[in-house]
Amino acid sequence: MNSLSVKHLLGIKYLTRDDIELIFATADEFKEVLSRKIKKVPSLRDTTVVNLFFENSTRTRISFELAEKRLSADIINFSSSASSVKKGETLIDTVRNILSMKVDMIVMRHPAPGAPVFLSRHVEASIINAGDGTNEHPTQALLDAFSIREKLGAVEGKKVAIIGDIRHSRVALSNILLLKKMNAEVMVVGPPTLIPNYIESLGVRVEYDVAAALRWCDAANLLRIQLERQEIQYFPSMREYSLYFGINKKLLDDLDKEILIMHPGPINRGVEVTSEVADSKHSIILDQVENGVAVRMAVLYLLSGNRMN
Amino acid sequence: MPTLLIRAATILDPQSPFHLQTKDILVENGLISQIRHRIEASADEVIDADGHFISPGWFDMMSFFCDPGYEYKEDTLSGMRAAAAGGFTGVAVFADTFPVIDSKSEVEYLINKSRGSIVDVFPVGAVTKNSEGKELAEIYDMHAAGAVAFSDAPKPIMVAGLMMRGLLYVKKINGVIISHPHDDTIAPGGVMNEGVSSVYLGMNGIPALAEDLMVVRDIELAEYTGSRVHFSSITTREAVDRIREAKKKGIPVTAGVNPVHLVLDDSSLAEFDSRYKIFPPLRTKEDIRALKEGLADGTIDVICSAHQPQNQELKEVEFEYAAAGMINLQTCFALANEALAGLLKPENLVEKMSVAPRKILGLAVPFITESAEANFTIFDTTAEWELTKEAILSKSGNTPFIGRTFQGKPLSIFNHNRLQKL
Repeated sequence: MNSLSVKHLLGIKYLTRDDIELIFATADEFKEVLSRKIKKVPSLRDTTVVNLFFENSTRTRISFELAEKRLSADIINFSSSASSVKKGETLIDTVRNILSMKVDMIVMRHPAPGAPVFLSRHVEASIINAGDGTNEHPTQALLDAFSIREKLGAVEGKKVAIIGDIRHSRVALSNILLLKKMNAEVMVVGPPTLIPNYIESLGVRVEYDVAAALRWCDAANLLRIQLERQEIQYFPSMREYSLYFGINKKLLDDLDKEILIMHPGPINRGVEVTSEVADSKHSIILDQVENGVAVRMAVLYLLSGNRMN
Repeated sequence: MPTLLIRAATILDPQSPFHLQTKDILVENGLISQIRHRIEASADEVIDADGHFISPGWFDMMSFFCDPGYEYKEDTLSGMRAAAAGGFTGVAVFADTFPVIDSKSEVEYLINKSRGSIVDVFPVGAVTKNSEGKELAEIYDMHAAGAVAFSDAPKPIMVAGLMMRGLLYVKKINGVIISHPHDDTIAPGGVMNEGVSSVYLGMNGIPALAEDLMVVRDIELAEYTGSRVHFSSITTREAVDRIREAKKKGIPVTAGVNPVHLVLDDSSLAEFDSRYKIFPPLRTKEDIRALKEGLADGTIDVICSAHQPQNQELKEVEFEYAAAGMINLQTCFALANEALAGLLKPENLVEKMSVAPRKILGLAVPFITESAEANFTIFDTTAEWELTKEAILSKSGNTPFIGRTFQGKPLSIFNHNRLQKL
């Protein structure tokens, strides 16, 4: 098998296990390329990619942009705040305008869940979802699992605890879906107000005690907590959150094993994780960032190949 | 129309001595003059209704005509055309307009604008000024002008004390408040039912709880005040159970259901298709079973279209930004007929689409009997038809059902001495 079963990467929902393994195998090759002195390959020469960001993002956009450049794609960047888009031009009009300038692929971040699925019904170009509201962030889940695979040898059978705001997290949902497809075990951990009802239907365990979660898991993926983003109060203070859900050195020292500490970034040092832990040997946070480029190169390459077929 | 002869129609009218009988019916100058086994008189117009049913003209208890203010979605005339095409001779229209129907002048505007039509339009006034849920609107004055009920739908009345005073206030006119049961503090910003589907789709879910809490509250308020509450369109198993219990206790509550909630569940949202975004949201298969049981045992009194037009610009956008609502006047009967086949007999359907809504609103129920004023719908429960885009008479086309095949359709309506063949 050397092509994906899908035309777009709209979410992990739509991928098969074979698709995921193909992306990993391809990312392995690109990771090797990235270790060379000349890091650029011509795979996407003559392909134009637009990075459409309707929501602020620094690291995801930089990671995609770098992946596109490493593949020799032509790139245009479009950024707009969601509020101005809501009032002004519609998403379909914006994208059709850009596509009429002969753009081949779209990388899109958008605050509304399902926006890339909606867009895919209206345009021909391949779409890569770079995060759609509280729905999915598929490349993040791919790079997270790729990093687990790299450090622990496999994803299958591994135990992963996802800790934080599960309710509002696209990273959590994509991670859960991907890890379950790869036969890993998943636990979600956080204040009960941040864990959605019915989450067990995705085949995950729910735990409110972070120490118990750490004892159980092989890898802990910590999600960024944002108090200010919530219209409703789900927990009283960052202080209390970090006291009860933050990962510190003592929690790790109390374990009789070593676990991986992961974070999709940006980190709130002292909230989800202390600096001591973030900078420790447990942390693979920067490896995740590095792998992000290789994984995104793999996705871009595979979808562009699919398009030409 | 001077004379109309209907041949061999099966009469469905529980109040009529001819109920369930197949008869010829002669209509002269807007009155049913004769009902006989065989009428030999000649007539200006003859309808062969062999194999078809005739019932009191259907009544839709919940439609949004968006007039005044949002005429680009619908107006009174286009709404009435859609209602007629759906077999309705009467419609209660809700106050979600700009300005809101919260004083007698808006009520009079709607009555004047709809005058002379084959479809009677009955305004539902707002309970509170501008439907803001803060102060009571001038309910008596609106009632005197022709408002038949009061509701802030699609907004809930969040303050219990205000709802209580509204209920007390309408007792003087033996009025009814139509509750759109939803507690909006449970899941602000919710866009679909909370459940397995919302978790999988990463969308903000509205738990059934948000509806159930309001149903329970308003049942308690109806009991305390002794005043009548009608639930516009319920969607949850728990709501059905609670209303069933309340009715057993003699509490004056009634309830409606939108047949869309009988045929679709929240799995329809898998493609983030905003045509399926309605409010209250599509629920689960379990809720559908409970709603059907509630219809069968009489807990749910009314089947209503919840016709809510939305223009393309508001609908064809990202799911989260899309306006909620679905047009349904032209598909309401067929959906109910299909969902309830084998569960409700045609005469029970007619009861819920014609008799019960008028009784709840205190309106005269048309009779299919001799010397009664003719107001009826002739329909077929087996005919198959397909909804085409061209056939939609609403100004808005927000329905997922274009291209779908339906079973059962109205064939003609008669009201105010006018016949309309559909």
